[in-house]
Amino acid sequence: MSADAVPPSAPAVPPSAPPAAAAEADGSLIRAEDLWRTYVMGAEEIHALRGVSFTIAPNEYVAVMGPSGSGKSTLMNLIGCLDTPSRGRYVLRGKVVSEMNDNELAAIRNREIGFVFQTFNLLPRATALHNVELPLVYAGIPKDERMERARRALAMVDLADRMTHKPNELSGGQRQRVAVARALVMGPAILLADEPTGNLDTVTGEEIMRLFEKLHAEGNTIILVTHEKDVADHAQRTIHIRDGKIESDEKRR
Amino acid sequence: MPFSEAARIAMSALRANKLRSFLTVLGILIGVSSVVAVVAITEGLDRYMANQVLSLGSRSFSVQKMPDIITSRAMWLEMQKRKDVILTDMDAVKAACDACGEVGALVQVTRTVKHGRAKQPDVQVMGITENFSRIGSVRDLISGRQLIADDVDTARPVAVIGADVMDAFFGETEPLGKTILLDNHEVRVVGVADRKGKIFGESQDNFVWLPITTWRKFYGTRRSIIIQAEARTMDLMDTAQDQARVVMRARHHLGFAKPDDFSIETGETVMDFWQSATRGIYVVTIVVTAMSLIIGGVVVMNIMLVSVTERIREIGVRKALGARRRDILRQFLVESVLLSALGGALGIVGATAFSMALAAVLGGIMSADFSAPVRLWAVSLALFVSSLVGLVAGIYPASRAASLDPVVALRNE
Ligand SMILES: Nc1ncnc2c1ncn2[C@@H]1O[C@H](COP(=O)(O)OP(=O)(O)OP(=O)(O)O)[C@@H](O)[C@H]1O
Ligand SMILES: [Mg+2]
Repeated sequence: MSADAVPPSAPAVPPSAPPAAAAEADGSLIRAEDLWRTYVMGAEEIHALRGVSFTIAPNEYVAVMGPSGSGKSTLMNLIGCLDTPSRGRYVLRGKVVSEMNDNELAAIRNREIGFVFQTFNLLPRATALHNVELPLVYAGIPKDERMERARRALAMVDLADRMTHKPNELSGGQRQRVAVARALVMGPAILLADEPTGNLDTVTGEEIMRLFEKLHAEGNTIILVTHEKDVADHAQRTIHIRDGKIESDEKRR
Repeated sequence: MPFSEAARIAMSALRANKLRSFLTVLGILIGVSSVVAVVAITEGLDRYMANQVLSLGSRSFSVQKMPDIITSRAMWLEMQKRKDVILTDMDAVKAACDACGEVGALVQVTRTVKHGRAKQPDVQVMGITENFSRIGSVRDLISGRQLIADDVDTARPVAVIGADVMDAFFGETEPLGKTILLDNHEVRVVGVADRKGKIFGESQDNFVWLPITTWRKFYGTRRSIIIQAEARTMDLMDTAQDQARVVMRARHHLGFAKPDDFSIETGETVMDFWQSATRGIYVVTIVVTAMSLIIGGVVVMNIMLVSVTERIREIGVRKALGARRRDILRQFLVESVLLSALGGALGIVGATAFSMALAAVLGGIMSADFSAPVRLWAVSLALFVSSLVGLVAGIYPASRAASLDPVVALRNE
């Protein structure tokens, strides 16, 4: 599988063109330097991450693997700006995220990050359309444009006919596709997915993976956590983590 | 996030828990409706009182042994010890009070009056001077004539009757010239007074007027009279009362340090008393309302804390999607304010229904046109205060929600 091969049948580009051009001087989109994340529990210190460094270039497709408790989710939370490192530097698109305050982090999460969760995390009372609209609300985009962009994002994940459905009226795979549409609707710099197929059966999981492949082909940068070799095989690069450290980092040609 | 969006989220959250939301705002509902209803009803009563009491005539006053308003038995006993007001007091006032126009007198007992077999109980049998119906509120007649000076001078056995007495004895038949029986004394009906209706359920038409001299022949001369006087103009009202007071004090030989041993009453006396009573009602209402609003606020705060706890994960999701602290803060504040304001609005609806019902009932009792208007200011104040309660009650829960760590919130089950 080649990252450059855009299928001729590929549908229109995502709502906002992926930011393939925006990168640091060295060509990296993400640069992590000696990231530590330490939890203090009473007298005990738990090092979930112990000095992790890597760079990720635009339009890379990276799988993060490792045993349970190795720190994968912790790392994703740092990359996704949901959390800040206890030590080290994290640079996203030339911006030093590790030094940002709460509001700046919220803005980065809103604009630069698209998060897909294992448990979907859709708002149960809201329709698919409204769920996808949420990031646009927090970006302060006017109602009409919000609806338009949310519709396009849902169409992109083949859910144009399910816009007014609530999460409990959708299948697991459809829910996850709503979540993907929501993650992409702002045209983020990276798409982060923490075990996106973990709650899906094999067939539905494959469907989501094909969607990711398509998005990657359209120019998106994707980082996904998985326990499954099959899923990781979709990526061009696999980072193995063990005990909070990078054990291996392999790129395939 | 714009306000409209926060309001939409809040509405859907409240709709999802209709019963809980309703129970939550019950305290606020009761607080608001009690204040709005009490304001409406006292205002209605105020207006009614002003109409009825001041219609007694704002230029007239009376000099009497007992005050109009007696607040205790001890006071009543004390007042009983006062000297009677007598007819010569009236003459003295008439002579000395140049600020006064008409000066007259009245004295009354309550009796059962008869005509043939018919009986009318609890009739106010009043002895009056001929100018009585000109002092204060003018009483017109529907037929016959008023009592005249000659009736008084010669103690003629004639009477003007009220509409109730007329109804009881004569119905459609001619009353003039007929005889009625007052404790075995026969008097001839010469006039029938115009109908006035009821004040606080008490008929103003169940009376018989006699010349005061005739009355004294029937019921004795040892009863204290009420001197009725009218100032010549509104401006002379105080002067006229002072002049009457000076005369009375001189006749009772009161030293200058001694208080009056008689009472001078005006319509305002009653009005003042009514208004101070109203103020008391207001104070009680405000205390009750403040308490129910405080309790209501605590309940709202409690339920908002529950709401935040239930939606920790939602808060995490929103933060992950880019909600800032202030977005979350606003969302929950708006929800809390909306919840409370809804309680306030329901309270206003309840109060309106309640005061309308009460106005109808009171109007029925008093057989008068009685309205308890729900005022715009009371409504706006109620909405404002209940929103304020929501705002204050929401601050702590909302800031707790806003300061949640997104990772922790997302991990919440
Ligand atoms: N809030 C926290 N407080 C204390 N320790 C934590 C906290 N969050 C994570 N940890 C610890 O940090 C380590 C890494 O956790 P993390 O969730 O990143 O693992 P993971 O690789 O995602 O595991 P899994 O594959 O099971 O999801 C674990 O030992 C975990 O117990
Ligand atoms: Mg994990």
